[in-house]
Amino acid sequence: MDRVTFEGVGKRYGKQWALRGVNAFFAPGEVVMVIGPNGSGKTTLIKCLLGLVRATEGAIHVNGMEVGADPQYRKAIGYMPQLAEFPRELTVDQLLRMMNDIRDAPSGSTDDRLIEALGVDALLDKRIGALSGGMRQKVSAVLAFRYRPTVLVLDEPTAGLDPLSARTLLDAVTEARRNGTTVLITSHIMEEVQQLGDRLAYLQDGRLRVLLAPETILDITRETSLSKALPKYLAQLPPAHVESV
Amino acid sequence: MLKVCKYTLIDLARNRFAIGYATLLLLVSIGLFMLEGDPTKALISLTQVVLALVPLLALVFTIIYFYNQYEFTVLLAVQPLGRRNIVLAQLLAITIAMLIAFLVGIGMPVLVFAPSAAGWTLLLTGAALTAVFTAIGGWIAVKNRDRARGVGIGLVTWVLMVLVYDALLLWIMFAFSDRPIEPVIVPLAAFNPIDLARILVMLKIDLAALLGYTGAVYQQFFGSVGGMLVALCALILWVALPSWRAVSAFASKDL
Repeated sequence: MDRVTFEGVGKRYGKQWALRGVNAFFAPGEVVMVIGPNGSGKTTLIKCLLGLVRATEGAIHVNGMEVGADPQYRKAIGYMPQLAEFPRELTVDQLLRMMNDIRDAPSGSTDDRLIEALGVDALLDKRIGALSGGMRQKVSAVLAFRYRPTVLVLDEPTAGLDPLSARTLLDAVTEARRNGTTVLITSHIMEEVQQLGDRLAYLQDGRLRVLLAPETILDITRETSLSKALPKYLAQLPPAHVESV
Repeated sequence: MLKVCKYTLIDLARNRFAIGYATLLLLVSIGLFMLEGDPTKALISLTQVVLALVPLLALVFTIIYFYNQYEFTVLLAVQPLGRRNIVLAQLLAITIAMLIAFLVGIGMPVLVFAPSAAGWTLLLTGAALTAVFTAIGGWIAVKNRDRARGVGIGLVTWVLMVLVYDALLLWIMFAFSDRPIEPVIVPLAAFNPIDLARILVMLKIDLAALLGYTGAVYQQFFGSVGGMLVALCALILWVALPSWRAVSAFASKDL
């Protein structure tokens, strides 16, 4: 059974379609890298999944539950936004407890491995307002993984992280995939896409133009790096071509 | 909802603006009571300060706090929470924080220096104005994505309610001075929460007599149980309507 499904999803702002005719199915244990130029619809796609933006047409399902009125489907979702902002006067520990309360997560039920791995344990007594942007990103990563989500949505997760922390985070993604979590990641780093993604979803002008495994694109184009292979592959496609596997 | 409210309150308890607001009100009210020998005169001056300052600061603080929390509010909207509960919790927390600041800054000195019926009325109406303008601020912030625009609308709202509305009433009274328009002016004055608060305090300080026939009409209407109920309902509506609009707008907007 598919974990996340997009069926004919479109989103219109005024007369402008930000997303149009997206059909995609993501399986458990799959890492999908969502890429595309600025304004291509990546953020809108993710926001539709998270319920932050209401799709104008089509339907999205998460674990069989339709994204819409009932917020309970979000229990299955872990989200790490690109910009991590929290109430500045709370301590990190208070923020973690707040999320525990909201999630009704009893102590011991959470996955706290990233707290230690990212060094967040040393920040617990610190005010959020006293943390750097990178430290807040680490806290954000902890929150995304903490409630053992079956769907993880990470918006440019390594931006702002030091290389070691970025590595730790990517290892956590690999571990989550092994445990059957469906992971959607937006990224501009092609090495990350090639290394981590089971499939890449390439969006352009609000349309899903490619949904393929990176290896397939490399095979077709006979290239070794995705940053060279993808433009070559896209150049072969007719303007409105949509391909998926 | 109470979980979000609780942690928002913890955040607000350490907020410098909220602490500064309470301190400012405390200094102003103690200063007025110390400078004026007569507590009633000090209460009149304090009423003017409360009617101008409390709506402005409640409005601006709420708008800025909502914008500062926007990214976190989005994160909350991704949790298994209803959107309506998120905004209601935030509005409730800001209202409680601003009420505590008001009661510390104005409430304590009034209860010490002027624990009269007029003093209590000032506290109750000031508290009501805090709730009203927090709700209006929440509505403005939710409706407008741009911070500068939101703050601008807030300031214009304040100017309209504190200055323009009164000027308009004065002009109506002047323009139609040859006709018996007091029965029309009374409900019009009560339509603005700041004017309503002013009238209620004035009636308790016995200043209504200075207003002549209009004061007598105010006294007759708001001095009765029915009039007080109307005033109370008007203030409740002034809190409920903007809160409801803020909640509905947030529930349906794209984040």
